[in-house]
Amino acid sequence: MATNISFLLNGDKISYEIKDHWTLLHLLREEMGLIGTKEGCGNGECGACTVIVDKLAINSCLYLAIDADEKIIETIEGLASTDGTLHPLQQSFVDNGGIQCGFCSPGMIMSSKALLDENPKAGHEEIKHALAGNICRCTGYVQILDSVEAARDKGGQNE
Amino acid sequence: MRLPKFNYLGPKTLDEALDLLDTYKDDAKILAGGTDLLVRMKKGLLKPKVLISLKALNELSYIKKQSGFIKIGARTPLADIIDSDLIQKEAKALFQACKKIGAISIQHFRGTIGGNILQDNRCHHYNQSDFHRSGRQACHKDGGKICYAREEADRCNSTCQSDGATALMALGADITLVSKSNERTIDLADFYTTDGIMPHACESNELLKEIIIPVFGAHSSYQRLAYRSAIDYPIVCAGVLLKPSLKNEIAEARIVVGAMGRSPLFLAQISSSLKGKKLNDTIAFKKAADASMDSSATFAVHNVGATLEYRCSMVSQMVFQALEQTAETIKA
Ligand SMILES: Cc1cc2nc3c(=O)[nH]c(=O)nc-3n(C[C@H](O)[C@H](O)[C@H](O)COP(=O)(O)OP(=O)(O)OC[C@H]3O[C@@H](n4cnc5c(N)ncnc54)[C@H](O)[C@@H]3O)c2cc1C
Ligand code: SF4
Ligand code: FES
Ligand code: FES
Repeated sequence: MATNISFLLNGDKISYEIKDHWTLLHLLREEMGLIGTKEGCGNGECGACTVIVDKLAINSCLYLAIDADEKIIETIEGLASTDGTLHPLQQSFVDNGGIQCGFCSPGMIMSSKALLDENPKAGHEEIKHALAGNICRCTGYVQILDSVEAARDKGGQNE
Repeated sequence: MRLPKFNYLGPKTLDEALDLLDTYKDDAKILAGGTDLLVRMKKGLLKPKVLISLKALNELSYIKKQSGFIKIGARTPLADIIDSDLIQKEAKALFQACKKIGAISIQHFRGTIGGNILQDNRCHHYNQSDFHRSGRQACHKDGGKICYAREEADRCNSTCQSDGATALMALGADITLVSKSNERTIDLADFYTTDGIMPHACESNELLKEIIIPVFGAHSSYQRLAYRSAIDYPIVCAGVLLKPSLKNEIAEARIVVGAMGRSPLFLAQISSSLKGKKLNDTIAFKKAADASMDSSATFAVHNVGATLEYRCSMVSQMVFQALEQTAETIKA
């Protein structure tokens, strides 16, 4: 069945005709061409597909597109400014070696953003907890945690 | 990975949902958070024609205390259970169990308590992609006649890995199921079948409405072991409840071992062997823990990771730690 949904995507009002069995990940990547959000496992195990829905970090591979109706959605594409200036979290990942192959980075950054939006002073343990559902096969996590902590310490400002 | 096609229905009231269930029966599945259901559908393990979403049924999301019972609506998110002071104080085993489930993207993402106890049993030979399974004969749970987990097994030995179910059984919880024409409340321990293919007795026209936990001055604790603390399912877990008498002896005990059998295992005899024992009787705890290991070992097969030997030997650790921790909270 096809259904019409509307939602706010990175600040833009979107109306889209979707199929009932599409996931939000499918809608973003395959239909809208927003390929910043990644598909790793497709089963809720890796966090590569993390986006923010109504302020919560969720796995878009297990979230039906139809459930996105009337929601506020943020993806990695919405983070940098239109002039190309990176979001402080993105810049911090670049500066602190939090990115190697980059496949996990959009998910890591969206999970971190959801946390810091809610709690700008989150401590080490809270950051670890918030990122526990995100897997990285390259960095060994230390640089990622450093990147998030550095971004937090700068209070959301780029240097 | 794509989902097979289905129609999505979003009833606005419980009655409407029950009507739809009654109409579609086996062709329909209820969608709560979807974190178990959608994964199984992606793997081609089931193909419902219709999903009936509980999204609009806020009436099924609550935690309240009523005349000596804690009542939890089936659609209550795991995150709400973790945040509840009431659960943390008076049903600690459930609090500890929910805290361990998945990562926050599973908990926030609407993983619900109802979906948690109704999730299907698992087995690493079965919970695989279509492609993986297409390379060999189907096992019992997949509609075939063999079992990869236990040689010559004439039935399925899939494992119930629900953290919530193990904790709730230890707490002595009942559940209420409703259908268009009926409503029944049963002991969670009687809800499970011994059939790995259909592990619990929820009829296709029934909906889980409420979980009811008795509160009667008992204390509880939950312990579990998994590969990674986040994301991974338990490979062994234990829930324990102890009620002290006025003399500070054990008046009632419940030991439940999870992730070892086709359902959580309530070890009634071993539990009652603790009656009358002192709260600091470590030797009795050790004995009960070892007996729990021996009992549950007969149910387990090698199908959820780690060696069987390791899982079995850790049963005794989990039970012992849960008993000790419960006794500590009573003493404190
Ligand atoms: C990566 C990952 C890790 C996980 N780790 C764990 C873990 O460590 N421990 C654990 O216990 N679980 C784990 N899970 C499983 C699952 O996420 C949780 O059990 C969750 O609580 C399921 O709830 P849900 O609302 O998403 O269920 P759903 O998927 O919506 O439903 C599960 C089943 O119950 C049925 N159902 C749901 N609600 C009702 C109702 N009210 N009435 C009748 N039928 C209903 C559905 O039809 C379906 O068959 C994990 C899942 C993933 C993807
Ligand atoms: S226990 Fe045997 S029959 Fe059951 S799912 Fe595993 S392999 Fe299949
Ligand atoms: S792709 Fe969604 S969690 Fe891995
Ligand atoms: S940078 Fe490669 S997976 Fe994380």
